[in-house]
Amino acid sequence: MNKIKRIIFYIFVLTISAGWIVFSADPTHASVKNTSAPQTGFSAPDFTLQSIDGKTYTLSELKGSAVLLNLWATWCPPCRAEMPAIEKMYGEYKDQGLIVLAVDMTYQDDPGAVAPFMQKYNLTFPILLDEKALVGSAYQLRSLPSSYFINRAGIINEVIIGGPMAEALLRTRIEQILK
Amino acid sequence: MLTLFRDIFSPPRHMILLVAAAWIGLSLAEKRAERYGVSKEDLNNAIFNSLIALVAGGRIFFVLQNLSAFSKSPFGIFSINPDLFDPIGGLAAAIVLALVYGQRRGLKFWSTLDALTPFFSILTVGIGLSHFAAGTSFGKETDLPFGIELWNATRHPTQIYETLAAFLTFGLIWLRKENPASGILFLTFAALTAFSQIVIQSFRADIALISNGSIQGQITAWLVLLICFILFEFRFKQAQRGE
Repeated sequence: MNKIKRIIFYIFVLTISAGWIVFSADPTHASVKNTSAPQTGFSAPDFTLQSIDGKTYTLSELKGSAVLLNLWATWCPPCRAEMPAIEKMYGEYKDQGLIVLAVDMTYQDDPGAVAPFMQKYNLTFPILLDEKALVGSAYQLRSLPSSYFINRAGIINEVIIGGPMAEALLRTRIEQILK
Repeated sequence: MLTLFRDIFSPPRHMILLVAAAWIGLSLAEKRAERYGVSKEDLNNAIFNSLIALVAGGRIFFVLQNLSAFSKSPFGIFSINPDLFDPIGGLAAAIVLALVYGQRRGLKFWSTLDALTPFFSILTVGIGLSHFAAGTSFGKETDLPFGIELWNATRHPTQIYETLAAFLTFGLIWLRKENPASGILFLTFAALTAFSQIVIQSFRADIALISNGSIQGQITAWLVLLICFILFEFRFKQAQRGE
C-alpha cells in the first residue's frame, strides 16, 4: 500500500471511529446505580435478617451510613483470620458512621458455633444469621469470605472476594465509603 | 458451559487466567523472538523483570496514595492482598524498568516491541477471559438472543466480545508473514486493540462518561489509534531511510 492510500485509509478509519463514538454517546446514560446487584457501581441488594441477639437489620434502612457487609462462616480459615482486623476497624470508625454487618452463612455453617466464635474473637459488631440463604443468593455468593463496601448512598463501592483482608486494605476502603 | 466457566474461575481464581495467559504469551513470544533479532534470554529477562516491577511498583504507588492508612498499619505494605495495588503505577514502573533493561542490554526498541507482541496479544485474551470470570467490564442490558445473564439482567456479553476481538487480533498478528518495518507488528496490534475497544466500549454498562455523554474509554482508544497511525508513517519513513 503506497503512502497516499495509507493516509486515505487512516482518515477513513479515524472518521468512522469518531462517527461511532458520537453515535454511541448517551447523554441520558441510565446508570446501573438504580439497579441492584452484588457488583461495584450497583445499588446493594436489600435484605432483612436477624442478628444472633434477636435484633432485626434491614440494609436499606441503613442508608446514610457506610456499611461493610462481610459474608463469612465459622469453618472458613480466611474468614476467621480477618475478623480481628474487622473488629479493630469497627472500633476505630464506628463513630464516623461505619456499620459492620457480618452475615454468617448459617445455611452452610454450624449455628451452634457462631456464639462461641463471637466470644473467642470479642466481636462487638452485629452478627446476622443467614439461615435460608437469602443473602447468599442475593449476593450470588461463590467464595468465602466476600466483603462489600457500601457507601452512604447504598451503592457498592468495592467488592473484595477472598481473604484475609489486611488492616491497611480495610482502612483504605472504609475511608472511601465514609467520604 | 459459560456458567461452569464462571464457577470454576470465580474471583479470586480468575487471576489464574491472567497467569496462564502470561505464560502462554511468553512461550509464543519466545518462539518468534529471534525473527526480530531479540534473544530468548533477553526477552525472558525483560518480561520477568518487568513483571517484578509491575508487582512492586503497583504496591509502592498504592502505599504512596494511601500513606495515612499505611502509617497506621505499616505491615500492610507486605500483605499478600492483591487488592492493595495501583495498576497504573505498576504499569508505569514495568515500562520504566523495561526501558532501562533494554537500554543496558542494547535492545532495539521497535524490534523488542515486535518480539513482545504475541505476549501482549495473548495477555489481552487472558484479560477478557478474567473479566468474564469475574463479571467485570459487563455489558448493557439487551434483548439479543446471545445476551448473558449477569448481575440480575440479560446483558451484552462484552467480555466475550473483548476475548474474541483479542483472539482475532492475535490470529492476525501471528499469521502475518512480513513485517515491512520494525515496530509495524506491535503498532498493528495496538491499533486493532484500540479499534476493537472503540466498538466494544459502546456496549458496556460500567463505563465512565464525559460531560456530553461520550465514553471516556472510547476517546482514549481513538487517541491511541491516531498515535498508532502517526507512528506507522514514522516507522515507514525510517525504514525507507534504512534506519
